[in-house]
Formats: sequence, structure tokens, C-alpha cells
Amino acid sequence: MEMFFHGFMQRAFQATFLISLIAPVLGLFLILRRQSLMADTLSHISLAGVALGLLVGVNPTFTNILVVVLVAVLLEYLRIIYRTYSELSIAILMSVGMALALVLMGLNDNGATLSINQFLFGSIVTISVEQVWVLLGLTSIIAILYFFFRKPMYVLTFDEDTAYTAGLPVKAMSILFNVLTGVTIAVIMPIVGALLVSAIIVLPAAISMRLSKSFNGVILIGIGIALIGMMTGLVASYELGTPPGASITLCLILIFAMTTVFKTLLRYMKIGKLSHKNGVS
Amino acid sequence: MHYIDVKNLAFQYEEEPLLENISFRVNPGDFVMLTGENGAAKTTLLRNILGLLKPSKGSVQLSPKNLDAEKLVIGYVSQQVSAFNAGFPSTVLELVQSGRYQKGKWLKRLGQEDKEQVRRSLESVGMWEMRHKKIGELSGGQKQRISIARVFATDPDLFILDEPTTGMDVRSREEFYQLLKHNSEKHKKGILIVTHDHEEIRNYANKHIELVRKEDSPWRCFSMDSCKELSRQPS
Repeated sequence: MEMFFHGFMQRAFQATFLISLIAPVLGLFLILRRQSLMADTLSHISLAGVALGLLVGVNPTFTNILVVVLVAVLLEYLRIIYRTYSELSIAILMSVGMALALVLMGLNDNGATLSINQFLFGSIVTISVEQVWVLLGLTSIIAILYFFFRKPMYVLTFDEDTAYTAGLPVKAMSILFNVLTGVTIAVIMPIVGALLVSAIIVLPAAISMRLSKSFNGVILIGIGIALIGMMTGLVASYELGTPPGASITLCLILIFAMTTVFKTLLRYMKIGKLSHKNGVS
Repeated sequence: MHYIDVKNLAFQYEEEPLLENISFRVNPGDFVMLTGENGAAKTTLLRNILGLLKPSKGSVQLSPKNLDAEKLVIGYVSQQVSAFNAGFPSTVLELVQSGRYQKGKWLKRLGQEDKEQVRRSLESVGMWEMRHKKIGELSGGQKQRISIARVFATDPDLFILDEPTTGMDVRSREEFYQLLKHNSEKHKKGILIVTHDHEEIRNYANKHIELVRKEDSPWRCFSMDSCKELSRQPS
């Protein structure tokens, strides 16, 4: 119980709660647009943004957001160029991000490695009040956008041609979505770490997709799963002194394994019931 | 008034000319079938009409308004729609309801009238009983039928359909063509349908556009050599 009395843990719980609300929404659209790896690319790019900030002596969060937003727009452009092999754009930019981050870190010899480590693996100790407020603002923006634009986004994710024919601004919507994903990654990366931020965004939606038939159901169940997985991961991180991103990811993977076993058992039980019924009649 | 006005359209993919000299119109009340052998760039022509591809020459004009001077609503069924993502988390009902969004319901709740239209559309393709099924669990033919139901739910002024009856049995196809004919004749909807069912559909369509290859051309060049007015068969 003592953990709830620490200011840094209170902020960590607040931040985790907010991340649990936005991750399944972004994650579901990323999966359905076959852009699950985009989050990974943006997190690598984020690292370059952080390294740039540390090198020029500006708050890394600002350089991070700036770089990620630019790349999010570029990603959409590359996705159009390589329409058939859209994963190519992800592969190209992921390498660029990592290479750039390493070069910028190499140019900086003022103890940047320590800060970079913090961004790579995440830290719950360093979450500031400002970060929580920024996250609250971002969550509010995503919630409002989802409330108003969930129908256009549903059609866009189902089929882009249908969306275009229906008169939706497909390109603008795609860019806006990429930018929102980029900003989200830039904001939550210091908490959960660049290496696992994409897993935390994608996993809750990936699990809930197997549990619900309907679109809204996937989002709601995804939020529930994210809350359970992230809170448990956070507590584990505090108790065991492990990195928060890794602990949360493992908790989500555990939920994934449990739901898979549960679903398989349920299917076998159904088949057993059916064959029993047929045998009786 | 023309819903679609194509003038001297030519299209080339990279350096390869695919379409040339294409001109035709689709008016309100027209039921136009577009045919051609495999690879005749029929889908490419439709994508040019819809604005998904840009013609290299000529023009495509879509009327901005319908007969009631309201915004023209287009209902499009693409060729690949039956292959849609099996894991897409949506029920049949959710997907067909999404057809109503473009009737000014992007930001509004669906009303009773919308729900009625969705029910009628699903019933017209025999899929009402399956409305709570996940779309990924449907067979190819069933997916095709809900794509059609979605378009009927939209109640568009102009139907643009790319081989919409793939995977459907003869009886379902005939019912579908009958429904389209009813829409074109009674409600003055414009219909442009890409099909291989020449013989079946000619009893319902009133125009036939055939894409044929120019024999003297050294490249893969297609042009429209025939645009026949078909005489209506008595129904």
C-alpha cells in the first residue's frame, strides 16, 4: 500500500490510466490499417528527436514532437508511393530513425547516454506533473476526435476507396491519424520506453479483437484490458524494480495467452456440447 | 442532366497505354452494363470515373447534384470487397449501417428511417437473420451480399458496381438485377455495372458499353468500339 503514498507513483498511476484510455483506440486503427509497425517506426524516430533535443540543449519533448510529426506526414507520403508494399516505408524510416539517433548521440558527449537509456526503457520515477497534464490534454483531444469522427474512421479503415467515394478527405484523415499517433508516442515514450511503446499501444486492441464481434465492443474491451494489464504491470514494476514498459508488456502478453487458452477451451466445450446434443437426438 | 460524362478519356499506367478514346454518358434512369474480356481495364475505367485514378487525357465529369438538386450520392462496390479483411471487427449490421453515414449522418445518430432502410436492404439480400454475425465469419457469397446490402442502405443516386455478383447463385443474381432495374426505372437511379454475365443482365440493362482491343495497335490499347442501346425486354 505504501506505493500509493509516493507522489511519483500517484503520477505514474494517473499517466497509466490515461494511456489505457487512448492505447486501444489508436491500436485498433493501426492494426486495421495494417500499420502496427508504424508505432515502432515512430518510436525509433522519437529517439532521434530526443537525441536532437539533448544535443542542441532544448527540452527533448519538444524536439521529439516536432520530429515525429514531420515523419508521420512523410510516412503517409511514402505509404502512397509504395502502396503495394506499404511496410517498405516503415522499414526505411525505422532504419533512418535508429541511425540518426545513434549519430546524434555520438556527437553528444555530455552524458546523453544516461538520458537516452531512460527514454529507451522508460521510467516511472521521472514522470512530472506537466507530463501528466500534457497526457490529459492529449487524451481529451483523442476522446473528442474519436467521438466525432468514429464513423468516418470506421469507413476509412474498412476500405479507403469506399471512403473516398463517400466524399471523405482520405488523405487529410490519414495524415491527422499519423500525426496523433506520433504525438502520443512522443508523449508516452519517456514513461514506457521507446523499445516497447508500440507493443503497449497495439496489444490491448490485438487481444480485444479476438473477444468482440463489434467495433465498439473491441474498443471498450480493449480499454478494460489495457487498464488491467497496465496497472498490474506498473505495480509489478514498483515491487520488482523492473522497467515499467517491459513489465506492462509482459502483463499484456500474459492476458493474451490467458484469453487464447480460454477461447480455445470454450471452442472445445462448444464442440463437445454440439456433438453430445447430436448424439442424444 | 448526366450523372457521368466521360469525354475522350485515355489512361496510361506508367508508360503503358491502357485506355483511349473512351466517351459515354450515364443519365438518371440508365442501367448501363460495362463488359470486356479479362484484362480489358474495366476496373481501371471505373477508378478513373470515381477519381481514384487520374486520366492521362480527356475528362470525367460527375454531376455534383441529383435530380432533386441535392448532393449526388454515389454507391460503390469494388471488385475486391468480398476479400475484405477477415479479422475486421464488425458485425454485419454495423457494416450495413455504415452505408447510411454518407446520407448526412457522419456526425448524427441514425434515426428510425435509417434503421428501416438498413433492415430492408439486409432483407433484400436475405441477410437479416445474419445481422449479428461477425463479417469475417461469412462465406465469399455472403460477404458479396452484404456489400450489396450496404450500397442499397446508402440509397445512392448513382450505383457504380464492379462485378458485384461474384460468388452469388443464379437466383440471387436475377433478384439483384431486378432490384437494380426497379431502382433505375422507378426511382431514376443511374447504374453502371461491370459484369461478365452478358446474357443474364441484358434483359435488365438499357445500355451496353463494351471495351474492345484495337487490332492494329502495337500496345495493349483498348478503346470503346461499341455502345449499343439495348431494347428493353418486357418484364
